[in-house]
Amino acid sequence: MAEEVMIPSWKKWFEDIGDQVGFFFKFFKNIFTGGFEWSEFVRQCYEIGYRSIMLVGITSFIMGVVLIVQLRPTLITFGAASMLPKTLSVSFIREIGPVIIAIICAGKIASSIGAELGSMKVTEQLDAMEVSGANPTQYLVVTRILATTIMVPILSVIGDAIGLFGGFLALNIRDSMSFSLYFTKVIAALDFTDFLPAFIKTIFFGFAIGFVGCYKGFRSNKGTESVGIAANSAVVTASLWIFVIDAIAVQVTSLLFYK
Amino acid sequence: MEAEKIQTEHKQQAPKKQEVVIDIKSLKKSFGQKQVLKNINLQLHRGENIVIMGRSGTGKSVTIQCIVGMLKPDGGCIKVLGDEVSEMGENELKELRIKTGFLFQSGALYDSMTVRENLEFPLTRVLKIKDRAEIDKRVEAALDSVGLLDAIDKMPSDLSGGMRKRAGLARTIIVEPEIILYDEPTTGLDPITSREISDLILSIQKKQKTSSIIITHDMECARITADRVVIMDDGEYVAEGSFNELHKSKKEIVKLFFKDIS
Repeated sequence: MAEEVMIPSWKKWFEDIGDQVGFFFKFFKNIFTGGFEWSEFVRQCYEIGYRSIMLVGITSFIMGVVLIVQLRPTLITFGAASMLPKTLSVSFIREIGPVIIAIICAGKIASSIGAELGSMKVTEQLDAMEVSGANPTQYLVVTRILATTIMVPILSVIGDAIGLFGGFLALNIRDSMSFSLYFTKVIAALDFTDFLPAFIKTIFFGFAIGFVGCYKGFRSNKGTESVGIAANSAVVTASLWIFVIDAIAVQVTSLLFYK
Repeated sequence: MEAEKIQTEHKQQAPKKQEVVIDIKSLKKSFGQKQVLKNINLQLHRGENIVIMGRSGTGKSVTIQCIVGMLKPDGGCIKVLGDEVSEMGENELKELRIKTGFLFQSGALYDSMTVRENLEFPLTRVLKIKDRAEIDKRVEAALDSVGLLDAIDKMPSDLSGGMRKRAGLARTIIVEPEIILYDEPTTGLDPITSREISDLILSIQKKQKTSSIIITHDMECARITADRVVIMDDGEYVAEGSFNELHKSKKEIVKLFFKDIS
């Protein structure tokens, strides 16, 4: 009996993987075939990028402040309070900034794409687009995935800058350091190998967020409940992918750049 | 008055046997263990309106979804304008879909776009028309033909149920399809609006010389629009004829549909 239950679930798992691979190739094929939807792409960049700046900014600012407040007592114990800008910049640029910002984007963007496309599926808009002879993958999927792939790294850079500024303000609550000295120390602590791998991984984070959001929306069932499920599932899966990509990126970066 | 005139003319000019535009033979379709379509045979002639009626879940919508390639049949063949649908590639299917309009039950307007943008979508994305004046002209003509020119810049959320269906119909006819498939075009509408939509279906058939398959439970819509009515039950066609012929039928399932018609 147990075997009878297991076989269909494994079969479904493999079917899902195959379906995701098919969706992935369909996306790539559609980037290069037919007219690119520039106006929709620009609209998505605005929706995904510009409309997320406030959230990313506030979150990054708070993270910068919190990190300085938390690190200060420990570094003071070792007499290394002057290392605060360096510690913050390396930890924020390499790891905390990109991952936290990507998780925030997964919550905001992947859920929004999943819910939007899911509701389009429920209300037969995707079917209508398809039977009209138009290409829903080109119009809806390509534009959204490319927009997240481009905008998440940009948001990450903006978030990093705001986070470091938050760190500067937090540092000046208890200590005193000039703006120019703080940022000189921050920049001096950073190397090409800190910034570039972190930036590259945000491109993959952006792709994962867009891809998961679109896939979950497109594959949602026909029912109002499935819109919520698509949105929720998009956030959970995209967040998980962000950690998986981060783990792989850290290993690759470590092998290539660090001894 | 004009609607009544069109209806009268429609009944007087019942289509002669003409070119077959949709030819369905032994169509079968199952979902899991449930066989929805058992053995469907249907021919739609050029300029003809066929109304398919049947209880919910008998496979009416599945039939028209198979016609446009949204669903793949398990058996049988469907020829649309002479070409076998199951053998079509991606581009051929796209060509077929341009020639075959589909009106969804909900209208399926793209809710992030205005009515104008909804109508422009198939023109710019499917027919690849670039000329702004040509696009505007066709959008306005399509909206005018469904009496919705005033709502051109409204969002779908600002429209009533009947207006959404009319806007959906305008989006369907704007590419001038040869065949239109209507999935319950009057469901959820009040009797007056239902009649307006039915008259509109008929006037579009006359103006654009389209052939149509109309799925409906609405007897008034069937009476107005049908050249031929097909009754479907349990995945098969159980009766076929003109509205008046079926009205007089002694078959139990047919009598159930027509029992409230005087």
